[in-house]
Amino acid sequence: MTTHECDVCIIGGGISSAMLAQKLAELRPGISITVIEAGKKLFDLENRMQYRRRTIDYAENPWPGDFIEDQAAKGVISRTMAVGGSALHWGGTCNRFSEEDLRLKSLYGLYTDWPIEWKELEKFYCEAERRLGVSGEPSPLPEDWRSEPYPMAAMVMTHNLKELKQWGEKSGIPFWSTPQAKNTKPYDGRNQCIRCNTCSICPTGARYSPDFTFKRLLARKNFALHDQTLVRKLTLNDGKTTVAAAEAVNRERPGEPIEYRAPVFVLASGYCWSPHLLLLSNNSRFPNGLANRSGLVGRYMCGHAFLSAMIEIDAKIYPGMNEQHGLISRQFFRCKTDQPFIRHDLRIWESASGHEPRLRSADGRILLGDSLLADWRDRAKRGTARVRGYYDVHPDRDSSLTLDVTSRNRWGDPLPTIAHKPDAATESRQQLTRQHFQQLFQTLAKSNNGKILSTGAGNYLDHPAGGCRMGADASTSVCDSFGQTHDHENLFVAGSPTLPNAGCTNGTLTFVALTLRSAEKIATHFRSPA
Amino acid sequence: MRRRTLLRWIASLGSAVRLTGLRAWAQTAAFPGDQGPVLAALAAIVLPSELGPDGVRAVAQNFERWVRDYRPGAEMDHGYGFTRLRNKPASPAPAYLRQLESLRPVLNGDAASSRRAIEAALEEAKITDLPRSPDGRHIAADLMAFYFRGSDANDLCYRAAIGRDRCRSLAGSDNPPPELKA
Repeated sequence: MTTHECDVCIIGGGISSAMLAQKLAELRPGISITVIEAGKKLFDLENRMQYRRRTIDYAENPWPGDFIEDQAAKGVISRTMAVGGSALHWGGTCNRFSEEDLRLKSLYGLYTDWPIEWKELEKFYCEAERRLGVSGEPSPLPEDWRSEPYPMAAMVMTHNLKELKQWGEKSGIPFWSTPQAKNTKPYDGRNQCIRCNTCSICPTGARYSPDFTFKRLLARKNFALHDQTLVRKLTLNDGKTTVAAAEAVNRERPGEPIEYRAPVFVLASGYCWSPHLLLLSNNSRFPNGLANRSGLVGRYMCGHAFLSAMIEIDAKIYPGMNEQHGLISRQFFRCKTDQPFIRHDLRIWESASGHEPRLRSADGRILLGDSLLADWRDRAKRGTARVRGYYDVHPDRDSSLTLDVTSRNRWGDPLPTIAHKPDAATESRQQLTRQHFQQLFQTLAKSNNGKILSTGAGNYLDHPAGGCRMGADASTSVCDSFGQTHDHENLFVAGSPTLPNAGCTNGTLTFVALTLRSAEKIATHFRSPA
Repeated sequence: MRRRTLLRWIASLGSAVRLTGLRAWAQTAAFPGDQGPVLAALAAIVLPSELGPDGVRAVAQNFERWVRDYRPGAEMDHGYGFTRLRNKPASPAPAYLRQLESLRPVLNGDAASSRRAIEAALEEAKITDLPRSPDGRHIAADLMAFYFRGSDANDLCYRAAIGRDRCRSLAGSDNPPPELKA
């Protein structure tokens, strides 16, 4: 067995890991940090233009090799396992939560409160925006106050978005540019966005992805990144509750197990693989897994539900100007305490839906060549708005990640299964929520001779989180607000798993903000530089 | 005796599979072989005449290149939300060549009868809508999908230089895209 020693061992190589390692290296330049990632390093920026082309032309994977065939979980929304994690292919949307997300119990008598003040979190939102390079337009709503401006001006609002903003605001709802981790000017050594319209594979590096941070960290002599290395178990020091080692195996050299020893361990493997590893790490003293005296590891798995509509309007929309950039309204982030509880974001994008080329006319005739083009042009005279709202749903305790003994990886470890379950209060307001959205879509459609072409409800929870929720009470949570587990002094959980609930908008910025805050606490375990 | 027969059959099956694979590879690499004129005749009917003869020829040539550069078994995008690992199916070239061969005699007549023949072929192949991207079910539908689902056709439809699949500057995108040059 090979033994590798370091000061901080970070398990998982996604966006939280990158941010944590970067900040720790700044706060404590003398400490050694090792990041362990089960997937591969895909650091070939020079090939991304070609991958993008193959994706457009052939629907090929824009990130070849970004998954592990036998490391699959049921109920996940992405198979990506590589250095950079899901933030390799994310859209870069950087919305903040709102204070209400942290105060559900005290404001509405629902679910739970977070053990952290909004003012405290806001500081770290600013830092996250600086580190990721967010371009944005401040919200016009005073409740969305911010203590620092966005690092970059917002993305240019295309002709299409200007048309859609004008349309949307006729309903009395303010819309503005959605903040994104995309460079509107050269920033942090990365290029300016050149509107490639394929943000899931950004060929220029204008959209932030963690590989850039890792590449920079690798220039340091006391930073190591071990990819293709799967941590299978955490073990404890004899007679103590502190974590002694992470037992791992390199996928290329399966016959040579590796042991990582460190005074501090951080789980930064996301909402799925962090609770999974804790459950896998059970032993005679902790038969239900590590950090699980509360029985809540793998519980309260959360995310937000969504409803969407395609609305056809009288507006000259040219599909493809910048489909990845949209509008947001935070008007519905708050709801009055004496009104039914419905909280959501509201987003609008350009779309070609309903106006795409088709092979058959409405009466079933086959269209070829000129007749197909004429039919398409006739239908394309009107524009389409894609409208979507992520709405706040709260998890039940039984919203769970469990070990599935019927599904194992090649090492024989049971793989995780996630089954989301909303709490009773969420269930009881489902119908009202749907009615609210139906009315909202109709209100929007009234302007510009609008017509709802279709509506849809998501069949999964987006931006999933949870599984190691934070709290002040060790009997009702897995870790504190810094991600420090209640049961093991030297074991932290970073980012998404620590969220009690997933808010009603994209979560990545919140995962990063919480991680940056954790970094300050983790740094206190080491002497500060003179 | 029976065992020997089975082994011989398995061995011959293996050779057949290898031979089929080799033939598919050769047909893909040399696409469209001697069916170039049939493909050109098909393109003239299923693509818009606004492209002009040179434009139609260019699309047909791009499609030929698309077929030749096709990579069977390549990883496909595994998606978000509904995620699954998939690989690109076998090359569509052998099917395309068979379809072109059967269209050869019917694409020699006047435009109207050629159109009817293509419509009949699409009906027979039970193609109800334009594929999202060429899927090998019928070359007529796939050639149309190849062009009409692309960025250039989007520009032609809107008569504007939108350039959906190109990397463009942010500057000027707050204005409507410029008119498409003839």
